[in-house]
Amino acid sequence: MGSISEVFQHLLNGLTLGGIYALIALGYTMVYGILKFINFAHGEILMVGAYVGMFAFDFLRGDMPYGPLMLVVFFIAMIIAMIISAVLGMAIEKIAYKPLRKATRLAPLLSAIGVSFILSNLAAYIWGTKSRKFDYPFDNTAYNIGGVAITPHQILILVVSMILMIGLKLYIDKTRMGKAMRATSLDQDVAALMGIDVNKVISLTFAIGSGLAATAGILVALDFKVYPTMGAMAGLKAFVAAVVGGIGNITGAMVGGILLGLLETFGVAVLGIPQGLKDTIAFGILIIILLVKPEGLLGKAEREKV
Amino acid sequence: MINFLLLILIYTGLYALLALGQNIITGFTGLLSLCAAGFFAIGSYTTAILTVNYGWSFWFTIPLAGVLAALAGALIGLPTLRLKGDYLAIATLGFGEIIRNVILNWDSLTRGPMGINGIPMPTIFGMVINPYRKWGYLTLVWIFVIVFYFLLKRLTRSRMGRALEAIKEDEIAAYSMGINTTKYKVWAFMVGAFVAGCAGSLQAGFTLSVTPNTYTFMVSVMVLCMVVLGGMGNHLAVILGALIIQLAAEFPRLLGLSSTVPPQFKQIVFGLILVIMMIYRPQGIVGRKKVNYDKFVGNETRRVAKKSEVN
Amino acid sequence: MKKFLAILLIMTVATGALFAAGQSEEATEVKIGFIGPMTGDYANYGELMSQAVRLAAEQRNAAGGVAGMQIEVVVEDSEGVVEKGQAAIEKLASVDKVNGIVGAVFSGVSIAVAPRANAEQIVMISPSSTHADLTGIGNYIFRTTPSDALQADVAAAYFADVMGIKKLAVLYVKNDYSQGLYEEVSNIFEAKGGEVVAAETALQGDKDFKTQLTKIKAAAPEAIYIPNYVAEMAQILEQAASLGIKAKFLSADGFSNPEIYDLAGEYTNGVIYTGPVEADVAAGSTSFATDYSAKWGVEPDSFSKNSFDGANIIFDAVEKVYNEMGKIDAAAVRDVVAATTDYEGVSGSVSFASNGDLIAVQGIFEVQNQKPVQIGVYSVDGTDLVEIK
Repeated sequence: MGSISEVFQHLLNGLTLGGIYALIALGYTMVYGILKFINFAHGEILMVGAYVGMFAFDFLRGDMPYGPLMLVVFFIAMIIAMIISAVLGMAIEKIAYKPLRKATRLAPLLSAIGVSFILSNLAAYIWGTKSRKFDYPFDNTAYNIGGVAITPHQILILVVSMILMIGLKLYIDKTRMGKAMRATSLDQDVAALMGIDVNKVISLTFAIGSGLAATAGILVALDFKVYPTMGAMAGLKAFVAAVVGGIGNITGAMVGGILLGLLETFGVAVLGIPQGLKDTIAFGILIIILLVKPEGLLGKAEREKV
Repeated sequence: MINFLLLILIYTGLYALLALGQNIITGFTGLLSLCAAGFFAIGSYTTAILTVNYGWSFWFTIPLAGVLAALAGALIGLPTLRLKGDYLAIATLGFGEIIRNVILNWDSLTRGPMGINGIPMPTIFGMVINPYRKWGYLTLVWIFVIVFYFLLKRLTRSRMGRALEAIKEDEIAAYSMGINTTKYKVWAFMVGAFVAGCAGSLQAGFTLSVTPNTYTFMVSVMVLCMVVLGGMGNHLAVILGALIIQLAAEFPRLLGLSSTVPPQFKQIVFGLILVIMMIYRPQGIVGRKKVNYDKFVGNETRRVAKKSEVN
Repeated sequence: MKKFLAILLIMTVATGALFAAGQSEEATEVKIGFIGPMTGDYANYGELMSQAVRLAAEQRNAAGGVAGMQIEVVVEDSEGVVEKGQAAIEKLASVDKVNGIVGAVFSGVSIAVAPRANAEQIVMISPSSTHADLTGIGNYIFRTTPSDALQADVAAAYFADVMGIKKLAVLYVKNDYSQGLYEEVSNIFEAKGGEVVAAETALQGDKDFKTQLTKIKAAAPEAIYIPNYVAEMAQILEQAASLGIKAKFLSADGFSNPEIYDLAGEYTNGVIYTGPVEADVAAGSTSFATDYSAKWGVEPDSFSKNSFDGANIIFDAVEKVYNEMGKIDAAAVRDVVAATTDYEGVSGSVSFASNGDLIAVQGIFEVQNQKPVQIGVYSVDGTDLVEIK
């Protein structure tokens, strides 16, 4: 471990990686909170969102120069991607998950795996297998602050993920619909008895989760390109983050995501563990956390009823 | 043609073994594990390393592969004492990834991504079982399937089998009936892992080379699909599940379509099969009928029972 | 239960019947197989290479085929895993009865497939498997890509002797291609008195290399060797730039995929890499690139060129044997392929060594203004670099 600036560099890299994990983790955690199942197709929705965002952005901007207008166009493209992903998420829920609500827990899990197969291979068929570049909406030359290189893209990730996470937290804590979501997550049947339209709540949950996935997809794609299998590993890692934080818990997903990002970066940098083993670190920590606190860092322990 | 069909049947046999093992853990005990690929890898690498580096006979490596995998199973089984349902699934998924990740990085032992080549062909009474001629190996693999089928069938009809099912149906109730749930859950993992380890060993003897790419998370998912698609808790059904998934995965090649349809087609069809199966037959093709308690008890009880059901 | 078993039975019988129907075909056409990942994480590599094989067949067919026979290409998906690769070779061997195979793509799959191809007397030419053990498996196994050893020898000698680099850092991915090159290059580089100051790893599928690059930056190397595939290298170059790394980047034939210029743009400038010798030596190369992009809408990488040459070498051999013997004799085809010397292909001049390895001279390229410029052609004698031109 070298100088203090190197520490800050790793910290920054870890935070941005974690911010993305957290955004994806939110979608997992919301769905899990309400339906109690792992939406394995979440990563693929992220991928579709990235493709849509890329096409929309390329179409809208033409050969516009960098500038504030370009940023506006970028955010419009992002909103289009969010809307289309949200619709896709709701459609998937209606077709593939809703009929399984009363089935065993394995059924929706496998159905989700099926959906993820379908989506990633359809994407490969329609859009081809090559990686495509998602152009930055700004000049991404790094600023050098005291030996630490920070790119505008990293700033974008931190700002956008912060805004979305805080926005979501407020929405769920303060609004009527948010309350309905919390109620549904506690007990679907009772919520229905209280006059909550459970179907509507579930649809909305999928819409929001998928919209967030699209945003994360675009943020990831700016750095890591767009390709049909981009959702797979990001999805797995984000799921780990969600579980570490306490699945079903919004704040937990944020904490888990950022923690995982920092651990992956620092585990390698500080402890001198080869980067090839970083998945071992991530999953090892996951298991340890689960053992010490099976409900996750911020999860509520559920007492099992006889 | 025949060689190609035989190959599919050999792999069906290998997957059938994996599915039989998974069935003990998931189908009978109700523990959602996503680690089959990990046990499989341990089995394969045990055989590869011992035969290539230490000149062991293939036959002696099979039981050892099973035992090592079972030890890993115990290691994975222990934490499960505290974890339930999806948390357990994630923890086991993590273990599976760790095993592959370690294999990939332990270059001095496993040659990392380069893989281990030149595993000698198994011989019996001086005769070589040449994997390339298929029939011999096919017989070998299916002998294992049949032996394990009968052993596991006996096992699940014994006291232990009843204990496992009791844990699946209601762990707390089982515990209060005096069943040592801790012991039986770890046992389930060990037995399942043992079978998978033997399968891994057989696979290494067949391909004569191993690379870490073979043992991805997708293998675990496939094995789980075989168990669920076939019918949980039914030995014959999961073997059938293995056959069906093999046929589904190879159908473009089987029908001579592989050059005419887009390569993604079979994956999309496979995805559709999963979704449609889960919607119309979530209990699997040969799902078992459960006693319908509704006839005896009121609706309220059923609702509570449904909620606590963890599969 | 009974119903399902019945359906299954019918399915199996129907499949069998279909096969029987397909079996009676007379060999009035030439069949060539391709094995590679067409779906999954590595689908892009398989897609690019299979397109080259298809193009080769198409061009040959348009020109009258092989000894008057039309060529059929059978593309089989290996998904990048051994099991599916084995299924592919069995199907190609026993159902299609192909006259030759281009593939497989990854070494792990090739090594599992090769013994079967060899036993079935099918010439197999891999366009991209670099693992040192591959060609030793049998007489029928060839490759149109240099083995790890060959490419690494030239690369390491060039880095140490010509460029005069003393401190090298390596960032490689844990796959057979990348790690194979890393191991060879670092061995030879150190034997030549250089120092590998940092060797960082990454996992296949990783896109974020900032941690490794930050560590490499701290080790202050003169140059960083990144023997990877194109998507990873684009990330590395871009992220290195954002971290303000000024060291020179060195790479291998994976860099010859023109996609790199789309993905990494100006960051590619100054990169030096080893690859198959340039177009002006290879007569058909320019028109190949034009035809390929006209047909498929993407540009070919060097592995596609290797695939194209592999396919054409097989076609030529089959034609020669058929013209001489009036039939396609497998052993004779193998002998003709093995005798290939100075074949002027699109990937350069191809000659096979007695073990089936490519006898290659390596081109050294430098990227200038986002275009590769060949700055030298080398081979090695022992560990000494020999300049060809």
